[in-house]
Amino acid sequence: MSAPTPTAEALEAYRAEVRAWLADNLPERQGPVLRAAHEVTPEQLAEERALQAKLYEAGYLGITVPKEYGGQGLTGAHQRIWQEESARYALPAPGGVASHVTLGIVLPTLLAHASEEQKRDWIPKLLRGDELWCQLLSEPGAGSDLAGILTRATRDGDVWVLNGTKVWSSGALAADYGICLARTDWDVPKHRGLTWFKVPLRDPRVTVRPIREINGSAEFCEEFLDDVVVGDDMVIGAVNDGWTVANTMLTAERSGGAGAGAAPPAAPRGRRRLAPDLVRLAEQRGLERDGATRQLIARAHISDWLQGQLLKRIGAGLAAGQLNPAAVSLVKLRTGIHDPQRAAIAMEIAGRNGIAWPADDDAASAPAIDFLNGRIMSIAGGSNEIQRNIVSERLLGLPREPSVDSDKPFREVLRDAKSWGKRAGS
Amino acid sequence: MPIQLDLTDDQALFHETTARFIEAELPREKTREWHERPEGFDPGWLAKAAELGWFSMLVPEEAGGGSVSDNPLADAALVAEELGRQVQPGPFVPMNVALAAIARHGDPARRAELVPAGVAGQAIVTWAATDAAGDWDLGAGVTVEARGDALVVTGERGHVQDAAQADWLLVAATRDGEPVQVLVPRDAEGVTVTPLATLDLARRLAHVRLEAVAVPADALVGGGAEALWHQHRQAVVLNLAETVGAMDELFTMTVEYAKDRVAFGRPIGSFQALKHLMADMALWLEVSKAAATAAIDAVGRDTEDAAEVAAMAAAAVGEHGNELAQQCLQVHGGIGYTWEHDLHLLMRRIQSNSVLFGSPTWHREQLCRVHGLGEEVTR
Repeated sequence: MSAPTPTAEALEAYRAEVRAWLADNLPERQGPVLRAAHEVTPEQLAEERALQAKLYEAGYLGITVPKEYGGQGLTGAHQRIWQEESARYALPAPGGVASHVTLGIVLPTLLAHASEEQKRDWIPKLLRGDELWCQLLSEPGAGSDLAGILTRATRDGDVWVLNGTKVWSSGALAADYGICLARTDWDVPKHRGLTWFKVPLRDPRVTVRPIREINGSAEFCEEFLDDVVVGDDMVIGAVNDGWTVANTMLTAERSGGAGAGAAPPAAPRGRRRLAPDLVRLAEQRGLERDGATRQLIARAHISDWLQGQLLKRIGAGLAAGQLNPAAVSLVKLRTGIHDPQRAAIAMEIAGRNGIAWPADDDAASAPAIDFLNGRIMSIAGGSNEIQRNIVSERLLGLPREPSVDSDKPFREVLRDAKSWGKRAGS
Repeated sequence: MPIQLDLTDDQALFHETTARFIEAELPREKTREWHERPEGFDPGWLAKAAELGWFSMLVPEEAGGGSVSDNPLADAALVAEELGRQVQPGPFVPMNVALAAIARHGDPARRAELVPAGVAGQAIVTWAATDAAGDWDLGAGVTVEARGDALVVTGERGHVQDAAQADWLLVAATRDGEPVQVLVPRDAEGVTVTPLATLDLARRLAHVRLEAVAVPADALVGGGAEALWHQHRQAVVLNLAETVGAMDELFTMTVEYAKDRVAFGRPIGSFQALKHLMADMALWLEVSKAAATAAIDAVGRDTEDAAEVAAMAAAAVGEHGNELAQQCLQVHGGIGYTWEHDLHLLMRRIQSNSVLFGSPTWHREQLCRVHGLGEEVTR
């Protein structure tokens, strides 16, 4: 993805071009950038796919993706201009989070590891919105310990047969395909027997079921794979080299999907307002002059600001090659710490208004909703503890903990785990 | 990684020259020789540092100063960062801030006499900004009254840095209820400097009593409240840059120790309990660097949100610095609690800096005031 460094004049010309195109072609955004996948009707999905195709045809999707794969072959500087200019417009987000997963997580993974033929065939479809993808990654028995998955892909003649259960897939209801991690060798250590497959979710042998979460919505799904058959053309990366691919994907995921395709919401320009949601809550209870409440409001406002400053610093450091890619885990970790703390401050200021409110007052439910949603980032995409492992090992170079399972065949790991409790208790 | 990314070549060279100078002249182990000595530092050392440009950066070129980039505060922050790492003595922050104010708002004749001497390190100037308790009062604790052609200065200033070694004090005061600043020779009649005992062994703070001190009318430095606030923001930013330098040094030291120290047959840095502690510290440090960078930029360019950003950064760095110092001690264990180990020097500096120009609590309240939250504060 190396393009020649553009001149300042060229970038300004590009900005003018982008600005004019946006003004002529897209309405300004009213609501949030992303919407939950389960909120999208089939009609909306079709409409937004058409909008995405329009964006693609105009050359604004896959800005940094090489031309041979349907992109524009431009630089990160062009991408940033697009993000800045388009932040206030209603961008197509077919399938909500599914689009974010497709362009922010799957696309960079495919660019790094798919075969030349796959890239030429698949990537233009991803960019056009013809194919929405989701991840088939975590399992009921393997989340933080991702290399411990049990979904199996078994060789049968010249095809692969997949069986297993996947869970926590964002946007699977809207998606057309899943990028699926499966075990292809049980007689080698766990990281060395894994392979990635492209799995069609409309296949009758795939069952997709929404999971209801603590906030009552159904953003995530679980999938059951029963003898799903795929050919060698659906294998992504080398057989049994799936862990290498997984690392690329997880890095893209931790960076919040700020990869080649999806546009993360840009910080609004202009003057900041002091944590408006909290000031409103404080005013409702007449606490805006209360010293302790003011400290809480200031803490939350500062933490919000720091979140943006950290993202800016890590982004710049990565772009300039001054930072280890593992530094994205710092942003992920801080989000996982900040979100629940922020929600706790809102609940504290709201007091009893946060636990009960008039049934017809939607706005009054915000602290309670944030209280529940604030739990997402401390777990999703790698828990805080996993991020701390990554930071300490890959960024600080601290030694790994001795491992009981990474050097022996996975079959033995499963067998030995059954007697673990007896040994530990003895 | 330095605090500020994207340094120009000139800045990088200046930063490196500064670090080399400190290493050669007064590395941390050598600062210990000064801990017991009341004067705190050698004026000859300060004059040598001045040759590198330590006191010229915030002074405009036409007044005899100059810096290596178009954001002089960013250049000064490069020095401050290194001062923090090596827990240096001396009045770097107040002297720079005071010289800049005199150069901008002082009487032309006095400016021509004093600023070049300060820039050259021949005259030591400090800033007597806070009230007897060390709190920011916009000069309320000192009055300036006209008596004939002269001015009479009366009141108290607290926590004045290096007052005993200073030749000049730039005193925040009020005249007819309006904030002003006034230049007072430290050896003038009626000036009493009482050194305080300090947590930071390398820092000298003193109480200054001004009893009807007579100074000429041209000792008045203008600019009013806005100038005082501007100086305060500059001081806050340089002070927090120094803190982040100290944090970076302490954390680097701690990670190295965790890799070397063996217990239970393993380097202690392999224990998840300590790894996770250090991951959190890495986060606090990176966040502090990000906050410092933003504050250096906003205050250096005097943006519309400079006051807000300075308050946010000061609150964040102050709090993270002290948490980090405690956890670094935790990783070190007993050795970190010994006098011989440098950990406490850095820990003392970090704590001292976290309140010197306003505590995190003060800065959070300041943030609310900048945004006009409520009209009066209930305390």
